[in-house]
Amino acid sequence: MKLLDHIEEWIITFLMGAATLIIFASVVHRYASGFAIPGVQDWLLTIHMGWAQELCIIMFVWMAKFGAAYGVRTGIHVGVDVLINRMADSRRAKFVIFGLGAGALFTGIVGTLGAIFVWENGMHYYVFNALGIAPADLPEGPTLPDLEWPTWIAYSVIPMGSYLMCFRFLQVMVSFIRTGELPHHDHGHVDGLDEDEPLAPGKDDAIYRMDDNLHPKPLAGDGVHHHNKNEEGPK
Amino acid sequence: MSSMIILTLLVVLMLTGMPISISLGLTVLSFLFFMTEVPIESVALKLFTGIEKFEIMAIPFFILAGNFLTHGGVARRMIAFATSMVGHFHGGLGLGGVLACALFAAVSGSSPATVVAIGSILLPAMVKAGFPRSFGAGVITTSGALGILIPPSIVMVMYSVSTNTSVGALFMAGVIPGIALAFLLGLTSWYRAKKFNYPRMKKATWGERWVSFRKAIWGLMLIIVVMGGIYSGIFTPTEAAAMSAVYAFFVAVFVYKDMGLKDVPRVLLSSANMSAMLLYIITNAVLFSFLLTHENIPQQMADAMIGTGIGVIGFLIISNVLLLIAGNFMEPSSIVLILAPILFPIAMKLGIDPVHFGIIMVVNMEVGMCHPPVGLNLYVASGITKMGITELTVAVWPWLLTMLGFLVVVTYWPGLSLWLPRMLGMVT
Repeated sequence: MKLLDHIEEWIITFLMGAATLIIFASVVHRYASGFAIPGVQDWLLTIHMGWAQELCIIMFVWMAKFGAAYGVRTGIHVGVDVLINRMADSRRAKFVIFGLGAGALFTGIVGTLGAIFVWENGMHYYVFNALGIAPADLPEGPTLPDLEWPTWIAYSVIPMGSYLMCFRFLQVMVSFIRTGELPHHDHGHVDGLDEDEPLAPGKDDAIYRMDDNLHPKPLAGDGVHHHNKNEEGPK
Repeated sequence: MSSMIILTLLVVLMLTGMPISISLGLTVLSFLFFMTEVPIESVALKLFTGIEKFEIMAIPFFILAGNFLTHGGVARRMIAFATSMVGHFHGGLGLGGVLACALFAAVSGSSPATVVAIGSILLPAMVKAGFPRSFGAGVITTSGALGILIPPSIVMVMYSVSTNTSVGALFMAGVIPGIALAFLLGLTSWYRAKKFNYPRMKKATWGERWVSFRKAIWGLMLIIVVMGGIYSGIFTPTEAAAMSAVYAFFVAVFVYKDMGLKDVPRVLLSSANMSAMLLYIITNAVLFSFLLTHENIPQQMADAMIGTGIGVIGFLIISNVLLLIAGNFMEPSSIVLILAPILFPIAMKLGIDPVHFGIIMVVNMEVGMCHPPVGLNLYVASGITKMGITELTVAVWPWLLTMLGFLVVVTYWPGLSLWLPRMLGMVT
């Protein structure tokens, strides 16, 4: 489970950084190849960066789907909670569970629809060919215009991301039923405000500290620091 | 008929407190499943193709750029620069607060983060200097909202995505209203400070100003990179956003040294978290507007609206009120994504300029963040000032009235927003 959490974080961190670098490189490339530097220009002109936009879009869509699942864990998906926050705790809990269940239902349905779509648009062909049992008239799925990868690989993030998100909703629901705590995201978090708190030796592993609101809270925790004022408002 | 069902279903689902993205998606799924013959499989594909636009990708890049510079150190530099420029007027620190908020909000792109960053540094200083707490809280809460009007603004990208309006033109159109609103908020602070005789600071020398300017300029250059890049045609808006993210990384790590390389993965992760949330709302909002278009609802509403003989003025009043009410329940991006597809076609039929309408929506969002009963800035400010919401509401009202007045001006004076893009030839 811990491993799944980390893989999720690594994937979206990597996609975010890599997509930025790719667009940066393609812009630099576009202008750099305009300068008449002997040798370099010819070399630059041999590289085509036309695929950069398409790859960036796909990376961001992937980031969005896995990130959305991660977001369930960090409580960043906010809803209109003015009404239910005025209710008695027991009734509010019912609505919270209903909301989480609805999230699981929606992502579950979408994941299934996506899986069917991906299967019928190329994965079918690919898998059957790999197994050597493809009927002759089985159509090969469409490919991406610039990268020329089969689209089903790009689209496969819909079932994967949605099922993961569905799982996260169920996970949060179970822990809510057990502990009554929801993950909560602090939108007003800013680093570097209390500088008198020294970075003690051995604390320089700040990335892995769990108190920075970027990591999922231990759901079974005491929850003292969850009682933020803005918990009551819409985010 | 179907419009009633869809909207009721959406409102009911939203009021149960489930995430806005999920309620949008479930509305679409259940309506398509029970009421139409549309193959439901098309929904899954739309979840991918809905955000398969390069323009949308500006959003994660802007968030990343903002997160690199959302740091206490950057806030301190902006405050130092702002107070050195305007500190010697009446209510100097308060005026500095308005200016610092405007600068920091433009760079960081997040209103709540601006309130927290500027507020937690400036408020204690103001209280120490002898300002009443409520004065400082009022200034910071309202000025923190300036960020969504001063470019680069994520809410404007959202509007441009859902209405196909040019991002560049919207950004340019936001410049003058942004400066005007900052000026008006400053004027309000100045007037109240003069009336109650709040302290002012010693006038900074030009040498001091130069030093603080040189420190702040690295962060402020972000705005220049984006605006200059888009206007001169060097970058598309999305490329400008990516360049600004790389620039912000460079400034934060190598110039300001507020963070080390080891902090970068954390910033990437939190930016990805935020962007994924927004992109998820966008995908579902795209589904929703697909459903609206499929059921021909915007068209019907536009016809009904025009059939009542309502003029431009009446429609704009209705939109203002509707947006202000919505501002009580949702955050700006969701409001724009849900209401723009409905209001925009009507505005077009009435001959309102798309860019002007976008600015109206953005200013509305800004007011919505600061007004009671529920505004995000109010809640965040209440956290850092340790003041109750009611108390804070009283503290905020002079500036809130200014904002409302400004909203009326922006709404009925298109020239204010359209002059600059028109001069630059970006709108006709």
